[in-house]
Parts: sequence; structure tokens; C-alpha cells
Amino acid sequence: MSKENIPLTNNEDGADNFDIRDYLRLDLFPHFMCPGCGHGIAMRALLWAIHELGIDKNQLAVVSGIGCSGRISAYIDANTFHTTHGRPIAFATGLKLARPDLHVIVVTGDGDCLAIGGNHLIHACRRNLDITCVMLNNETYGMTGGQVSPTTSDDRFTTTTPTGNIEPAFDPCALAEGAGATFVGRELTLQCPSLKNLIREGISHPGFSFIEVLSDCTEIYGRKNDLGESAEMIMKQKSAYRSENYGLEPKEMFQPGTVSTGILHKGDRVEYGESLRSKGPAKT
Amino acid sequence: MSKLTNLQGNRACVLGAIEAGCRFFAGYPITPSSEIAENMAKELPAVAGTFVQMEDELASMAAVIGASVGGARAMTATSGPGFSLMQENIGYAAMTETPCVIINVMRGGPSTGMPTRPSQADIMQARWGTHGDYSAILLTPWSVGEIYTETQRAFGLSEALRVPVVVAFDESIAHLVESVDLASAVSKKGMIRKKAVGDNKSFAPYAVTDDCIPPMALPGDGFRTHTTGLTHGEDGFPTQEPLAAERAVGRLLEKIRVNQSRIERYESSHCAGADIVIVAYGITARAACLAQEQLQAAGIQCGVFRPQTLWPFPELAFRKSIESAGHVLVPEMNAGQLLVEIQRLAAASDKSVAGLNRIDGENISPSMIVERVEAFLDE
Amino acid sequence: MSGIEIRFSGSGGQGLQLVARILGEEFSAKQRYVAISQGYEPTSRGGLSRADLVIGDQGKTSYPLVSRLDYLVILDQVAVAASKGLVHADTLIIADCERVTEPPSGAGKYLQLPLVKEALAAGTSRAVNIVSLGALVSCSRVCDPDALVDKISSSVPQRFIDMNIDAYQRGLTLGLDEKAV
Repeated sequence: MSKENIPLTNNEDGADNFDIRDYLRLDLFPHFMCPGCGHGIAMRALLWAIHELGIDKNQLAVVSGIGCSGRISAYIDANTFHTTHGRPIAFATGLKLARPDLHVIVVTGDGDCLAIGGNHLIHACRRNLDITCVMLNNETYGMTGGQVSPTTSDDRFTTTTPTGNIEPAFDPCALAEGAGATFVGRELTLQCPSLKNLIREGISHPGFSFIEVLSDCTEIYGRKNDLGESAEMIMKQKSAYRSENYGLEPKEMFQPGTVSTGILHKGDRVEYGESLRSKGPAKT
Repeated sequence: MSKLTNLQGNRACVLGAIEAGCRFFAGYPITPSSEIAENMAKELPAVAGTFVQMEDELASMAAVIGASVGGARAMTATSGPGFSLMQENIGYAAMTETPCVIINVMRGGPSTGMPTRPSQADIMQARWGTHGDYSAILLTPWSVGEIYTETQRAFGLSEALRVPVVVAFDESIAHLVESVDLASAVSKKGMIRKKAVGDNKSFAPYAVTDDCIPPMALPGDGFRTHTTGLTHGEDGFPTQEPLAAERAVGRLLEKIRVNQSRIERYESSHCAGADIVIVAYGITARAACLAQEQLQAAGIQCGVFRPQTLWPFPELAFRKSIESAGHVLVPEMNAGQLLVEIQRLAAASDKSVAGLNRIDGENISPSMIVERVEAFLDE
Repeated sequence: MSGIEIRFSGSGGQGLQLVARILGEEFSAKQRYVAISQGYEPTSRGGLSRADLVIGDQGKTSYPLVSRLDYLVILDQVAVAASKGLVHADTLIIADCERVTEPPSGAGKYLQLPLVKEALAAGTSRAVNIVSLGALVSCSRVCDPDALVDKISSSVPQRFIDMNIDAYQRGLTLGLDEKAV
């Protein structure tokens, strides 16, 4: 499809000079995402942040895993890699180490990043290589039909929890911070400009940045749990949302029924690649 | 001018890799391959390369592929249990046609098996280990010197053909210290990655070419391609269109077939006129050669056929080597894996094929082969 | 075969790889083909450990693993069983007289020496590998005993050089004094 055939939707969110079509592979449109899915908003926020940072698309690598989040990389007009389930962070580690000149961004989901790829996440947090990891949390495995994930809320119905989920959900941000990530943040898809700002901060941060995006799966998870249409789902997230926390105030991440957003943690630790290069050769 | 140095097999692998231009290694410790990682950690920084110890073999293989798509010559090294974990991303490398080299130091299996004991039981895993239809390349060096040269050849093949290449040798050679000629660098002529050139708009990253090897675009070159493990069309984007799918997978298989003469390497000694031919690879082939000398001295016409490239198997050369022989013996440190392939290849003939197998973690000695050959010819 | 096959065997941690390497370097320096192979168990300490040398003629790549031992050093009973079948009438076995209680049968010559005792006299039982190297070299004359002194010095940490040279000399003396039975 040509650019003219895809009208620019309103830029009421204040995205002056940002034409998302300049960052998309328009030939692939229409995209595969379900109506009401929050992933499209997250993609918009990511591309908007890239635009604001003036990153050259030729120097941008987007690495994704498997699942709905994994499919996003294909729509981005950059060097894109749709890798295996759970492994985008490990793949990105090799790419960034071999090519420190590239901006490497991982787009992943709650299942990809926290279940099958959980080990890679914690070690990437610990290593602190300069990668930005954007995790789209929709609390379910959407692509495979809506199974329980490590972030599925209490008692929710999924195709593999027909009587309600009994496993507690991870707090992904607490997990990333605990594992040593030097930049941790969370935002709602409802707040696209704030999400854009958060991603921009994450990309600018020298080290491993973990960003959790509260997305929504209306088509499968929402319907199964009677959570309403997309707008209702994200408004419900809003009702649980606490405050913008860009000022790094004391955080209460485990407050039940609340969601802290913004930058939740920032650490000051030397970036892995820099540290590695400064070591030089071993003495013989 | 040759320069002989006493080296351990695992270290020779590292020096060969670096000679071949390897500049990235990601791995996870596992006996009996750990010296490869340890030596890489020491040697790579000196050539501005990168070593990283990952959290597991899944991550190691993923990181190697990530480095390779970035343009680095990259490899990993492991042993049985780790090789099992790597199969997932070896499939991704095969599907996305990303060059990479995987060293598998074979130890006793299945499962944890015998970590410090030699084995040759992973050769079928190297051929069929990941799911789906694909063609694999497996090199099986028999000495420390050959580990040095075959690791170099593995990089050349991998880069030139855009395929994962596995080099497998057993614990005995991995830990063997013997003389190596470090001047024996393998020619890199024609063994480099084809790079994408021309117009970035019309570039099709998986276009069909005469040799079935598409040129590869790198990030930063302006092509901005998409790479996916999903079945993809020539443009690199996912497709489920039957014709495109058949072409995509078909070309992966065809690529190895079309280029087989570049890939295969073997040695055929004393096979012309032989009554019996021993087919052996790796350390077992060295026992076979000594056995051959002893049998020849005892008046038995015996030849040895040694595939250095085990997959794809040098079929034509093998058939030629057994023309005169009535018997074919396949000694190997497994329950009979290459034996099945040899039986298949000899099925149409009236030749008698037998195996000599050890699965007890011990090497097959020359005298065992001599005894088995004598008994076999009497049968 | 015109080559020489030597095995140092004992339990893990006794430094057998080191003595095999020291001896191997001497043969390499004389342009002989050398192959050193090893066998060990997953534990770093204890369990069977062995280091084998196959020495061939110049330029000839022979079969690198032992099949008929010319010399066998045994420092621990745990290593005895693994060498059965490799011992023949011309094999010289050197074993520690305390730690090896039942040597393998079939050897033509068998020396039981107080290797550990001499190592302790040199300073530590850990030097038993070097004592055994001295004993092997002096009774076999596989190489010039003096040629190994520098190689030992450059293979051990600085502060242990004197102790190891003492251990080596003690081994040489043991080998000279004893007659094989």
C-alpha cells in the first residue's frame, strides 16, 4: 500500500512533525493486530520516541520474539529480526556486542519475556548491556489462543485456567529491578505521550532499560473475562493507576489494586560493552 | 615453512577459529568442551573480538546468531546436553541462512551420560537435531592438526553458503595434546559471505540465485531487511502461500546439494582392489588406519574410507571406494549410527556390511578392528 | 611399533597431566612426534586419573592413544584396573609401595618404590608426581635426566621450584638404587 492510501490518523496526542508512515513498512498493511489491541499504541509510542531522538532507521535494529508482540517488528521500517520464542534478548545481546554502533531495541511480550525467556531477562538486567527492552504485557498468550501467562491476574479465566488462575502474577518491574536493571519503567497504552517519553528515556539511558507497557487483549482475554471493550479495559487500568513517577519518588510497587507508572528505578552502573572494551586483552 | 607446536585439541580449535576470522564467541561451560570457551576468553580480546559467557546454551546460540547478522564471524562450543539445547536456534540459523559455527565435543550420552568419556553418538543429532526439513553440514576431524584446519574450513563453508556448520570431535581428540602445523591456514578464497549490493528498494534478501545462495544484507548498509524464522518469501516476509513455502524450504535443501562438491572432503586409502573397506571418522579412523597397516602386513587387502565431511555424506566417492570390496566394516563409538547410512548406500549391492560398536566410554582400539576384520572375513 | 608408550596413573589431583607435559616437551624438543592423552572423572579431586604419552618417530603421525604400555607409573590403587590389558611382558611398572596394594598382573618388571614417602621428605605429598617422573627417567633412560630440570623449573610456580627439583632428584636416586623384580 502506498502512503497516500493510508491516511494519517489524528495527531491529537501532540505528535507534531511526526508522520508514523515514515517509519512503517506500508506494503505490509493492513496489519494483523485485532481491533482494540493495545500493541498498536505501543508501536506508535516506540516509533514516536525514535523520531524524537532522530535515530537513523538504518542504524536501528528491532529484535522481537514469538507471540503477538513478536509480529510487530515486521511492520517497522528498520533492520528487524523476528527471532525464536523467548530469545530476543539473548539474540540482541550478540547483535549489540558485535555492533555497538546500532540502537538495539527488543520488543517482547509477557510470555516471551517472563516465562520462556525469563532467564535471559534477568541476566540481561544483571549484565547491563545497552539494549532497550519494551515488554508488552497483555496478561495472556494471545497468539496461541489465550492461555495463562506469568502476569495473568488472580482468578482470571484463560483456556488453560478454566476454573480461574491460581498462580500469582509476576511484577515484571520489581523483577527487573531485583535482577539489577539500571532503568525500569512502566506505562499504560492509555497514556501514549507519556509512554513515548518513557521509551525515549529508556533508549537514551546507557545500559539495559526495561519498560513494561500495560497493553490489552480485548479479543480473547477481555472477552473471556468479561472485561469489556478496549476502551473499558484500558480505563480499568487507569483506575488502578497511581501516579506518574518521573521524579523518582519512593515507590510502592506492590500496592494491591494500584499501578505505579513512569520511571520506577534508575541505577548508575557502567554499561557492559564499555566495561568489556575497557578491559583489553588478557595478560599472557 | 611449517611451524610445529604441541597443542591440545580444544585450543587448536580456538586458534583455527581466530585464524579464520572468528571475532565473536558466546558459550556456556560444559565438559569436555570448556577449554574452548576458556581459550576464547583469553584470545579474542587480543584481536578486538568479543567473548561472552551466556546464561545457558539457548542464549549462547541466540547470541552467536545475533552477532552473525551484525556481520561478525561467530561461533559457540558445547557438548551433548548443550548441543541439545542449541538445536532450537540452529534451526533458526538454517531457516534464516545465518552463518555460524557450532563445535560439539562428543561425550557419552544420552542425557548427562559420561561427561569425561569419548563418544561419537551425536552424529545423527547433528544431521537431524532441529525440527523440520533442512540440510546440515558436519565436519569430523581426526587429529589436533585437523581440528585446527577443519575449524577454519567450517567458517569458510558457513560464511560462503550461509549455513550453520557443526564440527564434532570426541573427548579423546579434544583433550589430546599433539603436534600441529600452525602454518596450515586454510585458503579463504571464495569462502566469504556474499554481501548485498545495489538498490535497497528492489533488493530481495532471499532471491533465488544460480548457486542457491542469496547475498546477505547487514544492518547499517541501508537495506533494512526483515529476518524471521517463519517460512518467508523472497522478500523475507512471512508467507503461507504453498508455492512460495515450497520454494523457500526447497532452496535450503537444494543449496547443499548444488554446492556439495565445495563441501565434501574425504580420504580413501588402499581401497582400490581391497577385499574389505573400513569406513571410519574421527579418532576411530586413526585406529582403522593402524589396523589397516597391520592387516595389510598379514596379507589382507584392506582399505580405509574416511569422510572428513560426514554430512552431506560423500556418497559417490564412497560407492567408488567399495567397488572391489565384498565387506564393509563401520567401527564407531555409538550403537551404529553411520552404519545405518552405509547399509542404505550399500543396499543395492551384494556387499556384506557390519558395525563394530562401543558404547562404554572407551575408544575402539586398532587391535579390536583387526580382530573384527579377521572374524568378519571368516564369516 | 617403534614408538614408546608411557602412562602416569593415579587419582585426580596428583599432577599427572603436568609430568606428562614436561616429559612430552623433552621429546618434542628432540623432534619426536608426541601425543598426550588423558582420562579423568568428573570430580576434580580423587577418582581415576591418567596421562598417557605416545612417542613416535619424527614427522610420523601415529595412532595417538596407548595400546601396549612400555612404562606404567601407578600412584594409587584406584588406577590399577584401568591399565589391565595394556600391560605385557616388556612393560616396566613403577608403583608407590604404600598406595598400590595389588598391582596389575602380567608385567615383566615391577618396581615398588616409596614415592609418596620421598615426596613428603621433599616437603609435600603433592610432589609425588615429580618424584615418580625422576624414578621413571632414571630407570628407563627414555631421555637425559638432566634435560628435565629446566623444564620442571619453568612448569611450576616460582616458590615451589626448589622443592620440586629436590623431589625430582629424590626420584632419580630411587630409580638408580632399585632393581626391577
